[in-house]
Amino acid sequence: MNLLIALMVGTLFGASAFLMLDRELKGVCMGVFMLGHGANLAILAVSGSPAGKLPPVLSHGVDIHTFVDPLPQALILTAIVIGFAIQAFLLTMIVITWRRNQTLSLAMLATEEDAH
Amino acid sequence: MTQHQIVLFVVLPMAAGIATTFLHRYRKAQRWVGAGFLIANIVFACKALATVVPNGDILVSQMGNWPAPFGITIAVDTLSALMLTMASIVCFSVFLYCVFQFDRDQQGGFFHPMFHLLILGVQWSFITGDFFNLFVAFEIMLMASYAIFCVGTSRKQMKQAYKYVLLNLVGSTMFVTLLGLIYGQLGTLNMADITRLAMSDQLPKSSIPVIAMMVLVFGGKTAIFPLWYWLPDTYHTLPSAIGGLFAGLLTKVGAYVMIRVFVMMFGTSQAITDVVAPILLVSAGITMFLGVLGAVSMHTVRRILSIHIISQVGYMLMGMGLAIATGIASDIKEMAVAGAIFFIMHNMVVKCCLFLCGGLMVEHAGDDNLEKIGGLLKRAPWLATLFMIAALSLAGLPPLSGFFGKWVLLSAGFQSQHYVVVFFAVLTSLFTLLSMLKIWSYGFWSPSMGKHVDKPERRPTTVGGMWGIAILVIVALSMGLGAQKYYTMCSMAAKSLIDPTNYVKAVLGEQNTPKLAINDMLPETSPKKLVIKSDSYETSGH
Repeated sequence: MNLLIALMVGTLFGASAFLMLDRELKGVCMGVFMLGHGANLAILAVSGSPAGKLPPVLSHGVDIHTFVDPLPQALILTAIVIGFAIQAFLLTMIVITWRRNQTLSLAMLATEEDAH
Repeated sequence: MTQHQIVLFVVLPMAAGIATTFLHRYRKAQRWVGAGFLIANIVFACKALATVVPNGDILVSQMGNWPAPFGITIAVDTLSALMLTMASIVCFSVFLYCVFQFDRDQQGGFFHPMFHLLILGVQWSFITGDFFNLFVAFEIMLMASYAIFCVGTSRKQMKQAYKYVLLNLVGSTMFVTLLGLIYGQLGTLNMADITRLAMSDQLPKSSIPVIAMMVLVFGGKTAIFPLWYWLPDTYHTLPSAIGGLFAGLLTKVGAYVMIRVFVMMFGTSQAITDVVAPILLVSAGITMFLGVLGAVSMHTVRRILSIHIISQVGYMLMGMGLAIATGIASDIKEMAVAGAIFFIMHNMVVKCCLFLCGGLMVEHAGDDNLEKIGGLLKRAPWLATLFMIAALSLAGLPPLSGFFGKWVLLSAGFQSQHYVVVFFAVLTSLFTLLSMLKIWSYGFWSPSMGKHVDKPERRPTTVGGMWGIAILVIVALSMGLGAQKYYTMCSMAAKSLIDPTNYVKAVLGEQNTPKLAINDMLPETSPKKLVIKSDSYETSGH
């Protein structure tokens, strides 16, 4: 399970690095979003395997060793909320850029800049 | 100030942010509310400082009364109190400047709420005692800074904003990933608890690379040598006052966190300092020297000042590096940290002040390209005076604040025989003076030039801005003339950072271990995890 998650994290990070090297802002932003997901998954992986464990609402006398650590999940939840805000912000920036320049290609934006 | 009142440092700016959001149609009310909150902020920061300093007390508050490693801790020690005081003064001055000098568009929209939320993030990072909380505070601060970056922007600023936003996002993601990994390794994210692990030498070997990678995250935010590329391109596109706010607060928060993490938390762990100290020291030398060379080569006021931020960060790094380098006596280490703290405080004030001066220079001359302006000495003699004091203070001439910061750092460097870094520090000082004189001689001394300089009818009203600058100059002067007082506080802060026993005790309680008797449930070797006994879970009121 850990190996699987490690591979998934690696794939997500790799894909996001590839996307971030894109020549268009859309791709760059998608890369950033994906990076966030990879990070969340990495945090999840440290909480240990959930297989055979109970949800963390315990009744009296339950063996605590079957207790999945809830903290990483709280961390991920926070990170997801923050990530969501950031995605909304970045998309807004992209919309504004598109409205002003009618292009999202970095090369075009750069040349326009020089002409400006 | 009682221990639970420290939560005000988060609550006040948050309340100000919310209030000004609802008042965004009523500009006057927005300003008055903002000013009121900022003044209250200064008062509380000074009160906290007065409470903490005499005995080196630490004010700790556990959120929701959850005991330390499990709940969220906020704590104000001497270092935090010093930072809070300086930051609140800087915020107030920039606020004055913005209110009086910015036109309606620049202050429009949600500028004021964003301003207060930025302060919220900054102050939260100063007082938090929890690593993940630090991430959240960073994010709030950065989100506000992105928004300030983009509101009412020119095209040029927008494009640079992408650079700033994306790089910071990558940095933040890296931060949160590392936090996850650290939690996986150590089983805790409470700063005091991690400090305890480091002090009792319980850090697992595998956590060392993860912790060393923290240099990348905080280094990026602080703009140290290989990671500083985003700063010169972005800051100069901002309006001067905002540039001043960012220069005075954002990079300094990074420096503060680096002191907190590498000096206090992991400074006692030989394995980590062996890796981090050389990185910091080498980077310090290169950062300060290359930064100042960049500044000397620039031709606009804002660019010179922006790149200068980097060079000044080098001095702070030097202090940190000396503080954790091996084979240095502990009194010299203390001196180095005290120097770094003094330097951060000095830099917050002076750097911000210079940016504000730059803003007023543009108001007077109509441009900030040094080749197109001149003669400001005649036109604005008071501005010239204030600029000169701040500039000489930055360069480090004797009776002013920069001198004492550098003096302490240099003598710590000499006594610990790190001559190379000392050499670069002295050289950098010289070039700093050169770059400041460049602004002075082109902007103020040369014959009158510039779009508006010869037109008396284009004389801008700069009273409000001048007050903002004057407050900062007074603080800078007090740091220079009363250096002994400030330095005593700094060395007290340094003492408790080099030996963090008091911090750990204050946060975790007397026995240095958590009160919840949980650890005995787990085998000795495994790191402590959040595991709650089923019966104690019931008695805790759920």
